[in-house]
Amino acid sequence: MAPPRKPRRRLRDLLAETDPPTTLVSERKLRSASRRDFLIFGAAATAAAAGFWWLLPDGAAEEKLPEGAIHALDTAAARLGLTKDRREKFLNRTLSFDDDVAEALFSRGRKVRTYTKGQVTPLRNNYNGATPGPAYLADWKLELSGLASGRTETLGIEDLRKFPFREQITRLVCVEGWSAVAWWGGLRFADLLDAHPPAPGARWAGIESSVNLDIDGNEDPYYVSIDLETARHPQALLATHMAGRPLGVDHGAPLRLLVPMKLGLKNIKAITAITYSAAQPDDYWAERGYSKYDGL
Amino acid sequence: MSARSRAVPAPRVPETPVRIKYPHHFLVRLTHWANVPLLAGLILSGLAIYWAAPVFVHAQNPATGSNDYLADLGVWIVNHVPAAKSYPRPTTWFYDHFSIGPGQLALALRLHWFFAYLFMANGALYLVGLLAGGGYRALLPRRADVRGAVAMMRYYLGWLPMKLFRCPWPHPEVGTKYNALQRAAYFSMPVFGALSVLSGWAMHKPVQLHWLERLFVNYDGARIVHFAAMVVLGTFVVPHVILVAVDGWDTFRSMVTGWSKRTTAKETGHGSAPEAPPPAA
Repeated sequence: MAPPRKPRRRLRDLLAETDPPTTLVSERKLRSASRRDFLIFGAAATAAAAGFWWLLPDGAAEEKLPEGAIHALDTAAARLGLTKDRREKFLNRTLSFDDDVAEALFSRGRKVRTYTKGQVTPLRNNYNGATPGPAYLADWKLELSGLASGRTETLGIEDLRKFPFREQITRLVCVEGWSAVAWWGGLRFADLLDAHPPAPGARWAGIESSVNLDIDGNEDPYYVSIDLETARHPQALLATHMAGRPLGVDHGAPLRLLVPMKLGLKNIKAITAITYSAAQPDDYWAERGYSKYDGL
Repeated sequence: MSARSRAVPAPRVPETPVRIKYPHHFLVRLTHWANVPLLAGLILSGLAIYWAAPVFVHAQNPATGSNDYLADLGVWIVNHVPAAKSYPRPTTWFYDHFSIGPGQLALALRLHWFFAYLFMANGALYLVGLLAGGGYRALLPRRADVRGAVAMMRYYLGWLPMKLFRCPWPHPEVGTKYNALQRAAYFSMPVFGALSVLSGWAMHKPVQLHWLERLFVNYDGARIVHFAAMVVLGTFVVPHVILVAVDGWDTFRSMVTGWSKRTTAKETGHGSAPEAPPPAA
């Protein structure tokens, strides 16, 4: 049996600072080793500077570097084949790597944190363009396609009222960095999927708002993709209400997607069509350089 | 064979042996320098992300249209620093100079993930290097550190006046690789690095890593810690570079090559400075 004090002393030995061992090396050897190391250091620093130049947006350095340096770096980057095209491809690969991480982390059983009504915060209307006028509400319909029935089905707001009404108070997190807690009501996406099942083999829902407008008020349809795993999550709502009242146009009347396990840009407002498919549909913001999966 | 047998001129550098030690493991040196471009990339892209939705805000100022304290800082600089005078866009001065620029969110996010994954890998390699080379031993805080830190602060505060009065001002005795202030600074850097990584993940995946978000109280708590960690990591560079410059070439070279000629406590820790006065009788 070992004496009881022994493990403690061993830990202390492991943590104590000791004098580093010294060796005798000839001055000449030291100098040549030193020269080699500084050459490697310089080469690495140059490579890092070139890489930086390639990755940073054009014009970002205008305020920071003299014009001559900018020109020299541009020439060097072009000689090395560091083109803008390659930069985009490279950065998109980074993004899909990060999306894969998010997808690996996702678990359908994991609940999004919920809040009390007292914790609700103001929610801004973050329509990227103009907010659509209320005219579209009069003949609003939801079109479902890619269904097991093979038909395209059209639902009115009364059809959606037949589903069990669910409420939740969750946080909406924007890719810009702000977030807001809001009180939502509507039907579970899972209930709609049960009532109108997608065609076998479908893995995605492509959700579209044809009434979305650009900043000048011109038609600019908005669309997102949602994997059906997320759509079946119990906290994925097709919201019709906010703060106990029907949605206003600024928050996506009469029907918006509420997926609090995704960034706000997936929470599409004023849905007009849902299409189920085996392949991943397009995303409005992914086509503009943002991520596609957006799992929080 | 022929090259060997040929008479070579006498080496200019003598073969005399020099006593050296290896204070920094290869991985510690590598990751130390990798932090320079990685942190630069993280801060340049991070502040461009911050621009999209600042966390430190006030009611909108009707004169500038700004509600963001960092934008205000830029306005102040344009108004008060002669070199920045007549800058056309005062509210974006700060972001034009310290980030990849306003209105670059999509690019800034992609760059930030790229640098962030490398920064995490780099941090892991640094820890491996610390363990493999035993460098962690010199970083661990110890009981005498409070007294040692006070002595060092007293030394730094008195250094300039004593120089002016030409009074002897001996460096406190340090028998270890680092003095107490250095130890606190070098120990806290990986801690703040870890804090920036954890708060970053808390913001990035607040649902899947909800426990991490709770660790920072809430979403904005993580944002504030992330910002503060950036400020600490960024400002550390200033005294770090000044003190290395003061300490001399051997210190800088040892971080590149790995070896140092300072093998005695007298040289490393200023054990007994030559200008130290004789102890009072």
